[in-house]
Amino acid sequence: MNNQMIVTDDELEIGYVENLEADLLLEAIFRLSGFDFRKYMRASIIRRIQNRMRLERIPTITRLHEKVVHEKGFLEKMLNDFSINVTEMFRDPEFFKAFRQHVVPELRKLPEIRVWHAGCATGEEVYSMAILLEEEGLSEKTTIYATDMNEKVLEKAKQGTFSLMKMQTYTRNYIQAGGKEAFSEYYSADEHFAYFHPSLLRNISFAQHNLVTDSSFNEFHVIICRNVLIYFTAELQNQVQGLFYESLCPRGFLGLGNKESLRFSEKTPYYNEFAAADKIYRKR
Amino acid sequence: MIGRNRFGIRAKIFAGYLVIILCLVVSILSVNNQIASMQKERNFIINHDIEVHSLTNEIEKQVLDMENGQRGFILTGDESYLKPYDRAADNWESHYNRLSELISDKPTQQKRLADIKTSIQNWIQYTGEPSIQLKRENKDKEVVSFLKEDAGSKSVEQIRSQFDTFRTTEKGLTKERADKLDEQNKFLKTGLYSLLVIVVAVSAFIAFFVSGSILNTIKAVVRSLTAMSSDGDLSQRIHVKTRDEIWELAEATNELLNKIERREWLQSSTNQVVERYQGTSTIKVLGEKFVTGVAHLTGASMGALYVREGNGEKSVFSKKGSFSEPMGEAGRETFKPGEGLVGQCVFEKRILVVEKLPENYQVIGTGLGEVRPRSLLIAPVSNEQEVIAVLELASLEAFTEQHIELIENVTKTFGLTIDSVLGRMEIVRLLKESQAMTEELQAQSEELQTQSEELQMQSEELRMINEQLEQRTLEAEDRSAELQNAKIQLEEKAKQLTLSSRYKSEFLANMSHELRTPLNSILILSEMLAENSSKGLSSEDEEFANVIHSSGQDLLNLINDILDLSKVEAGKLEMHFSEMNMSELPSQLERNFGHIADQKKLKFEIIKERDVPDIFYTDEKRFQQIIKNLLSNAFKFTEEGKVVLHIEKESGVPLVDGADHWLKITVKDTGIGIPKNKHDLIFEAFQQGDGATVRKYGGTGLGLSISLEFVKLLGGRLELESEEGEGSTFTLYIPSLPNGIVPVQEMDEAVSEAAAALSPYIKDENQMMEEPGGNNLPVHEQARADISSFQGKTVLIVDDDYRNIFALKTALENEKMNVITASNGNECLELLQKEQNIDMILMDIMMPVMDGYETMRRIRENEENSRIPIIALTAKAMKSDREKCLEAGATDYISKPLKIEQLFSVMRVWITNK
Repeated sequence: MNNQMIVTDDELEIGYVENLEADLLLEAIFRLSGFDFRKYMRASIIRRIQNRMRLERIPTITRLHEKVVHEKGFLEKMLNDFSINVTEMFRDPEFFKAFRQHVVPELRKLPEIRVWHAGCATGEEVYSMAILLEEEGLSEKTTIYATDMNEKVLEKAKQGTFSLMKMQTYTRNYIQAGGKEAFSEYYSADEHFAYFHPSLLRNISFAQHNLVTDSSFNEFHVIICRNVLIYFTAELQNQVQGLFYESLCPRGFLGLGNKESLRFSEKTPYYNEFAAADKIYRKR
Repeated sequence: MIGRNRFGIRAKIFAGYLVIILCLVVSILSVNNQIASMQKERNFIINHDIEVHSLTNEIEKQVLDMENGQRGFILTGDESYLKPYDRAADNWESHYNRLSELISDKPTQQKRLADIKTSIQNWIQYTGEPSIQLKRENKDKEVVSFLKEDAGSKSVEQIRSQFDTFRTTEKGLTKERADKLDEQNKFLKTGLYSLLVIVVAVSAFIAFFVSGSILNTIKAVVRSLTAMSSDGDLSQRIHVKTRDEIWELAEATNELLNKIERREWLQSSTNQVVERYQGTSTIKVLGEKFVTGVAHLTGASMGALYVREGNGEKSVFSKKGSFSEPMGEAGRETFKPGEGLVGQCVFEKRILVVEKLPENYQVIGTGLGEVRPRSLLIAPVSNEQEVIAVLELASLEAFTEQHIELIENVTKTFGLTIDSVLGRMEIVRLLKESQAMTEELQAQSEELQTQSEELQMQSEELRMINEQLEQRTLEAEDRSAELQNAKIQLEEKAKQLTLSSRYKSEFLANMSHELRTPLNSILILSEMLAENSSKGLSSEDEEFANVIHSSGQDLLNLINDILDLSKVEAGKLEMHFSEMNMSELPSQLERNFGHIADQKKLKFEIIKERDVPDIFYTDEKRFQQIIKNLLSNAFKFTEEGKVVLHIEKESGVPLVDGADHWLKITVKDTGIGIPKNKHDLIFEAFQQGDGATVRKYGGTGLGLSISLEFVKLLGGRLELESEEGEGSTFTLYIPSLPNGIVPVQEMDEAVSEAAAALSPYIKDENQMMEEPGGNNLPVHEQARADISSFQGKTVLIVDDDYRNIFALKTALENEKMNVITASNGNECLELLQKEQNIDMILMDIMMPVMDGYETMRRIRENEENSRIPIIALTAKAMKSDREKCLEAGATDYISKPLKIEQLFSVMRVWITNK
């Protein structure tokens, strides 16, 4: 009911025609590429579309639609627009601190650890997790599966190369997240980029995976999916939460973004709040 | 009910006592009677017997007295002796009579007494009187004889014995009576004892019976109560057979139990309903559960709950739950306050019960059939004096008081529940909304971040491009200074050329315009002169004027050409697309070029295929100009043979946006042809075959380059096929564009780069995504090749170990940094006061005088120095040291022994934003 209301508000804001155009565009994109943005938060999608329209100086979504269908390379461009890859290393340091303090002791008890990082974007948080597990001495028995629907960002993630300008923030985050070494142990820098040591990649495997259309591919002890669900409607969030639930082994951990919540999910009863303030939940 | 056949405890006790008292009274009376009769008996014995005895004795005495008196008198003759005799003779008979009276009930004794009387009278008659008479008569002799005979004493003896017998008998009788009295006494005693026993027995029996009857019923009541309390089963009732107060008590208790049971039912039913809907979070589910619960408990067959939506006049009650939905069209989804009974209920705020529903009232459907409800109940549900929901129930039975009471009960609390559920729903909705909004905000902020990152990446990319350009220049410089210089010069020149070419074009465009104005007047005036309307000129003058005019005309054409070209090159030429009639083209061209062909004795053929559409959309003026240029070119360079113009529809060209068809126009001549190596050249402005050609054929050489530019502007293509001496074929492909085209500006590299620099947002983002990964240079190499960000930066090294300082200094100076050093904290602070431009401090922790922590704290105390990056150099494996460093104000830390690569990396991180 609530969700419908929000959509309705959105629709009022966006306008009927524009919404219709967006429907058709998203349908076309789904049929052409298999990427399904139809259940993404409409307001966000519209803003991305409008952004593209502004860049291309196209007045209507329908014109954009035509380009998507007929112009080579445009579809990929749109797909890129829709994938938002905002991330940083040790993003919300408290999360990683809580993970280090509370989840790591639990993980130590396991003979092997599988971590799924869903929607990893350019991989900053994957590297953060790898560093954290390395410092906690768990890296040898851990496999991190880092997935994103956007293969381009995965390529970028595999390189482990991040802009030097962000490294100050990342260093501060690392320190706040309870880093045990000097952050500079993990990278070398030139004038533009910091290159993280490839040894961190030892236990990471990157793969393309679409949370909306693909199903579970393993059973994990930890699933990290931060600031991905915020782009989804409640319905889709529920669907993805279902996927996570299926993919999590009993007593496994689920880490969400700090603005996200499991509170209104259908799966709420199946989790305990493990470190609720830091959005870490544990399957019952 | 209780009054009838009633035999109360009081009555029982009274009856018991009464019986006992009666017994007592009876026994006392009988005992009393007995005692009285005994008294009488005794009295009788005492009075009668004693009197009998005394009278007997009296009579005997009187007999004796008479004997004595008689004897005395006889003996003495003294009359005085006769006195007792007379008295006795007078009295005995009265005594006798008295005695006879007393013993009248005893005939034997009476007979004896009569005998005694006879004896006495005999004595008196035969002894007494005669003797006395004798004496009186003084017949002593006779008296003596008489005495001698003594008949008298014999009869006295007889009397005496008679009396003895009498007395004995009388004593015997007395004894008999006393015995009888004794007997009676004994009987009385026995009677008394047996009475006592009887009374005790009766009392005991009554006590037993009364107490038993009371106790038994009480016990029965207690038993019932105990059973009830131990079972908790209040459905049982106390049954008392007696009709007494206990029965009343039992009845009252039963009544109480009934009431309790009713209340309990009410309570448990209420609880049942409340339990049903407890914990529900949506009004719909709440409604369903409530209606179902109430319907089950009241035996209703159909029910619905309407909940208010909206406030004030706009409020509408809509169905939020139902039990056995009505079949067919009966039943309403919503109603307004005041509408029908349900609406009326909202106003009245009380329960309405309708019995005897009309025949046509909605029916309750079952699988097998339909029944008509008998009664209807409509109850308001209020919260804070306001009706917020209405419950309607229909039943096949009448609603009982209890049902109504239950409904009153449950609706009382239900209002609050509805309110709280609505509140909860509202809270959940708001929470969800706020969660959604939070997420939305986060999404937006991420989008913004993405956008700003995109912008950053774009500027980064631009910077990269610039830097790479610069880098290439520098590389070239490294390889060869001369080459570098030459390249720079060439680039400079190229830039200058591009610029000057643009300046030239602009200048020409301006100049041509400026030239045309005066030229126009020359042309007009020379034409006027040549016409020689005033006939004031000689024919020679007229010829001069004609020459001036035609030269002017040539000059004007040239200027127009230059103007066009310069406009094209300056990007100022605009195309005006409109409808053009292709059918007129051949005749037009025939008109224009026919005479030239005639002049040069050339054959001019125009072939237009039939499928060429008549309507063609293009800039007609420019289109014709192209054709004319091509034709005049063909005619110009053809000395003999023919010029052929062929117009046909082209289908083999990929359509550009908006083109409805294409034309292929071929101009073929049999002229001098163009050598292969000059093919490109001839389209350049001011170029013809070669210098000789210019001299031979004249002309500016602008025609083809202008045509080429026009063709581009019209969206078409111009191709050349030619061999020297074999004639030339120019093929023009041109689209029909009803809507025109957005002119694609053909800009040279410098212009486009400038454009890119000015508007980074137009750039294709795919390129950006590929950075830096898309760059083919090996990254490290690329890094090395960059200009060092360390260059010219000032770093302050604070360390007490000179070898360390030396090593660091050497390494950093190699990177072209300015290095200043301090060997302890104090020096460091002094240096900081003197030096303003320190970009970074490398701080050793273990130092004499003032250690690193203290130094850093002091540095940070000064507001101006709060932003200088300080890299602390800590000993390895000392986490606490690092934390202390950070607390003291270090920006980052690095462990000793230093690895120079790592140090540089950290320094790059922190120096990058300077």
